Amino acid sequence: MTGRFRIAKGWRDMKTIAYLTLDTLFWSKKTIFVVFISLVVLGMAVLGRLVLSYNWIRAPFTPAQVFSTLMSTAVIHFMVVFVTLFYGTALISEEVEGKTLTYLFLRPIPKPAIMVGKYLALVWTSVLLVLPTVVFSYLILYLRDDLRPFWEDAGVLGKDIGIVFLALLAYGAFFSLLGAWLKHPILAGLIYAFGWEGIVSYLPGFTRKLTVTHYIQSIFPHENAPASLAMLFGERTQAPEAVSTLLLMTALFLAAACLVLREKEYVLEQ
Amino acid sequence: MTRILEAKGVSKWYGQVIAVNKVSFSVGPGVTGLLGPNGAGKSTLMKLITGQLRPSQGELTLWGERIWNNYPLFYRMGFCPEQDSFYDRMTGAEFVAALLRLHGFSETEVNQRTDSALQQVNLVEARDKKIGAYSKGMRQRIKLAQAVAHDPELLVLDEPLAGMDPVARKETIRLIRILGKEGKCVIVSSHILHEIEAMTSNILLIHNGQVLAEGDVHDIRDLIDKHPHHIYIRCSEPRRAAELLVAFPDVVSIRFHPESNALTLESRNPDEFYSRLPGLLLRHEIALEEITSPDDNLQAVFHYLVK
Repeated sequence: MTGRFRIAKGWRDMKTIAYLTLDTLFWSKKTIFVVFISLVVLGMAVLGRLVLSYNWIRAPFTPAQVFSTLMSTAVIHFMVVFVTLFYGTALISEEVEGKTLTYLFLRPIPKPAIMVGKYLALVWTSVLLVLPTVVFSYLILYLRDDLRPFWEDAGVLGKDIGIVFLALLAYGAFFSLLGAWLKHPILAGLIYAFGWEGIVSYLPGFTRKLTVTHYIQSIFPHENAPASLAMLFGERTQAPEAVSTLLLMTALFLAAACLVLREKEYVLEQ
Repeated sequence: MTRILEAKGVSKWYGQVIAVNKVSFSVGPGVTGLLGPNGAGKSTLMKLITGQLRPSQGELTLWGERIWNNYPLFYRMGFCPEQDSFYDRMTGAEFVAALLRLHGFSETEVNQRTDSALQQVNLVEARDKKIGAYSKGMRQRIKLAQAVAHDPELLVLDEPLAGMDPVARKETIRLIRILGKEGKCVIVSSHILHEIEAMTSNILLIHNGQVLAEGDVHDIRDLIDKHPHHIYIRCSEPRRAAELLVAFPDVVSIRFHPESNALTLESRNPDEFYSRLPGLLLRHEIALEEITSPDDNLQAVFHYLVK
């Protein structure tokens, strides 16, 4: 088998696995929950817009401030984490629970191709569900007669989309690893996301660099209370380093997930 | 014999539990029945053969190659798992086609092979029905379809007849025999002796994780026939029947069941006994109401072999 043929076959295998996974991921009960989260975020954007339009609160609110709060609290620290946690951990563990993994493992494709194919489906589904929420929130908050703020902050929206995408990649890879590795990955994922990350990112020193959220906060274009508090205890990582670390983390987590899938024996209970 | 599958001292344990214990055997072309009662280690052995599990000890090879993490072998192997699990939202045809795509076939070939596989298992009419709406027997058949669709040289079928109605069962047995005659290596597991006997005479008996016997079923039967067989007879005149039967040289003992007008006897040569019995009863006008052999099940066969 030549190298070129190998690559072509590998890509085709991953695509086939991704298509197969998309169907099972998208048409699952989790999607209802994710759509609900998305509607909550959009509902918050609508509420913000009403507050802005009718001056319900006597404070100098701007669309940028509401959008910033929405992004830092609801989208990055909540929606992204939950979407990737639910879908990422399900990639392998649901095939194990549903005992369908046998059908994939007994095909002439390397196990890492199965993992990567499934991960591609996860990224695609998450992007499809999270990014429109970001864009629609922006539209809800910024579309008005005076379009100047809309165009002025379009760059921030672009950055936010990029950051959300990077966060989806990194968290997605991490939770995929947990799903391939552990029997109860959701619990472990919750402990990581809301325990470890919640505590460590406020600690001084190097340990905070052992979280995904540190690098996301480092490149986050908005000022927000939790991030500012966290940054009080330590320096932000420089943007190029933060981006490359997030990409490196993604690659490492994904490689580890592939290795686990390759070496672990999955005993499907009869 | 061309050796396709070879096991040398293979063991598999889960923690403290030994599922397969130092088994050595080889399998060539044709149908081989893997027989054993529930919990004997059949499914673990099947999972080892199909590379789902890694042997804890020993060597297991297919065409001379190790199986664990050797994915190119799956071009040549098809597997019908025991578990009743599917991507339920898919139709039968979508399920077979999706798995065929993972073999790298072109879309035209995928469609042709899907049609052919569904035809082989008589599921053409239900091809566009969701698997979730299939009956148990249809689900068994769609599992078989995905196993044969890529025309593998080795087929591993884990309890393929479970849940099938008699017609589907007969058809599946016929299909397995045909595949064996075509020179493919088919390994079929079951805990029901007569199911296996209908497919092949070549068997591998497994019990408590060990291979008890390997080879032709008749040879194994001969081995078993050295032990007396229990035969239960219910008839109009059990006492008179007993008087006649006790004269048979192969009859070792007779026990009465007065409450049910029946008797149980032990014969050292059951084949000969069965051939003589109808004539004898007819001559003496004794009406035979029931004749069964409590030994005619796999558990009893194992009992004999283990004893």
